[in-house]
Amino acid sequence: MTDIAAAHEDGAALHHDDHQTDGHHGGHRTSFGLSNMKLAFWLFLGSECLLFGALISTYLLSKARFITEVVAGNPNVVGTMPEGTLMAEFAESQSVEPMFDIPFTSLSSFVLLMSSLGMVLAHSAVSRGDHRNTRIWLTTTALLGSLFIGGQVYEFTAFYREGLTFTNNLFGSAFFTLTGFHGVHVTGGILMLVSLLFLSLRGKLNADRAETVELVGLYWHFVDVVWVLIFTIVYLIP
Amino acid sequence: MADAHAVADHDTPAPTAHASGGHDHAHPTEAQYWKVFAVLVVLTAIEVAWSFLGLEGPALVLPLVVMMVVKFLLVAGVFMHLYFDMKAINGKLFTWAFGSALALAGLVYLIVFAAFEFRISGAF
Repeated sequence: MTDIAAAHEDGAALHHDDHQTDGHHGGHRTSFGLSNMKLAFWLFLGSECLLFGALISTYLLSKARFITEVVAGNPNVVGTMPEGTLMAEFAESQSVEPMFDIPFTSLSSFVLLMSSLGMVLAHSAVSRGDHRNTRIWLTTTALLGSLFIGGQVYEFTAFYREGLTFTNNLFGSAFFTLTGFHGVHVTGGILMLVSLLFLSLRGKLNADRAETVELVGLYWHFVDVVWVLIFTIVYLIP
Repeated sequence: MADAHAVADHDTPAPTAHASGGHDHAHPTEAQYWKVFAVLVVLTAIEVAWSFLGLEGPALVLPLVVMMVVKFLLVAGVFMHLYFDMKAINGKLFTWAFGSALALAGLVYLIVFAAFEFRISGAF
């Protein structure tokens, strides 16, 4: 009888422990110590790393090949852009550097870094149940993300007017695919932020759902980290 | 057992602790987030200034790459809480899994890069 009571108490204690170690919305924690949701999200981000790694590698290889052909004067490559456009500058500088407006892109980078700060402050606010600041920072982050996208649209339009399009040569395809994919990811992040904002406005984003905000934050910071790489590799290193 | 459920169901996270994800551990404070942001902005400004110095080759590229890696680590470690998660959770298993995946991904890219380089240079 005593053994049965002890076993029952053990079972109850174990059950209690299970609940205490669960994430609020992530279910049972994994053997890594993370919740299932968070671990799954990290795996998703791992696959995203492979995607952007492939895109950055493709860009670097395509750029090297493109510049080699431009310097060699290959008519099949040089003829892909109208005369008097960027192609002449590419040939003269032996790089694609002249097409970039570094001060403008630096400002875009600042905007995206600022948005990452807004995201962590939103997560911090929701963790302590501060609804007002959660909404303020979610809105700020979404607006800064939109500003970044606006800057990218402006930049793409400028390149198009200067003769570089998605289809006219290998370099254009690689550049627009890489930066375009990043822009699509930022847009996806903005939609997630707006969804969180609506949840908050409807009173469904409380402190016990902080992990939801943290997961969206992980995605947003990942997009920021990818831009850190793109900014240096694509824009700053000739 | 009912009490245990009641305790678990009303277990609200402490302001300074992160209670989601099945572990309770401290995350950076808002002041620390602002400091990291300031460092990121300063590093970005230095990067841009460095690119305008007119340097070439490794003198240009190496510092830019170092600053890029520092920025990457700051965002991943502090903003994404990776540094704090790795300290608080089942460290050895996670570190091995994370490290081996990172090494594998790096190796794949090195091989792909090498293959393309050889192909472009006509070595095979």
